[in-house]
Amino acid sequence: MSMDKELREEFRQAAESMHVPPQLSERVRSSYQKYVNEKRGNTPMKKRMLAGIAAVAILIPSTALAATYLADDIFGSSSIIKQHGGSQEDYEAIEGFLLTAKGKLTEAEFKEYAELTKQLVQLKLKITDEKGVVHEEKLTKEEKQRFEQLSSKLAPYFEKISGNAKP
Amino acid sequence: MNDQSLLEWLEKAALGDESAFQQVYEATHQDVYRTVAFLVSNKQDIEDIVNEVYMHMWRSYHKYDPSRPFRYWLHGITVRKVQDWKRKSWRRIRLFERNRQMTCEPFAWTDQAVLRSELQLELFGIVRQLSYKLRVVVILRYFHDYALEEIADLLQIPVGTVKSRHHLALRELRARFEMTGGDVYVHG
Repeated sequence: MSMDKELREEFRQAAESMHVPPQLSERVRSSYQKYVNEKRGNTPMKKRMLAGIAAVAILIPSTALAATYLADDIFGSSSIIKQHGGSQEDYEAIEGFLLTAKGKLTEAEFKEYAELTKQLVQLKLKITDEKGVVHEEKLTKEEKQRFEQLSSKLAPYFEKISGNAKP
Repeated sequence: MNDQSLLEWLEKAALGDESAFQQVYEATHQDVYRTVAFLVSNKQDIEDIVNEVYMHMWRSYHKYDPSRPFRYWLHGITVRKVQDWKRKSWRRIRLFERNRQMTCEPFAWTDQAVLRSELQLELFGIVRQLSYKLRVVVILRYFHDYALEEIADLLQIPVGTVKSRHHLALRELRARFEMTGGDVYVHG
């Protein structure tokens, strides 16, 4: 028999005589479950993060004009947003959204909403550079937690505002 | 199980479907285990590496290129995980000066534990004594039937290197085989 054939034959026999230890499947399964849990564990956090980002991002597309700026309460002034890659139009848009919010929410709700938004925006501004690029890694662990907290607190208001906007 | 359905199971498993995990494991574990066991001696290490291979599979199923056979992808992961392990074990050796222990290890590979001992596999026994670099080529060539070009791709080394290692391995096998062959003849 040629060596090629012999090698193949011996590999085949050696392979067939090998028995995978039964405990290995349990081990692989438990790492798999760990993997799945990690994956699932991450998802709600990611969702909250996304909701937060969406909440702020959707502030931008809505449009309206206003003489006095509600947005000033949140940003201080339009120059702040310009330092972070935003334009006057963006500012107007945010203002528009805030006006909608004021219309849809009760006075107390709006007050709470504006306060939370203000805090979220402060964090958001901190991690947004002058070109408007977001650097999430700049958040400390505490800030990140705060960010998520704010986002999840804001989510119901946000639904109320945008949900009612499209009857 | 064909590649298409395997890929579907893999995708489901990676997304958390446990019955899909079972399917993928059933379809692949023997191949993975045997390949690793041919390359690594220690039983505990074999199991660690197999576990790593599966972890990698879930995490990178989206990188699988369906234009290539599934087993090719799987063997690529397996070989890389074995190599990762080897790198780590070399680091361990340097740290703890386990040199002496390590040189004994290839023979600590217990035929009784992993392989049925009554089998008389002379060539296979010699393959196990080849250096890792030669052995991996022989295993991919004669156990998995890959062409030398494919082996080069799997190991991410030039084809020329694979060719020369293949050549060296066969020469060494032949030389040692003749030696033991004579031995067996004398004592038989």
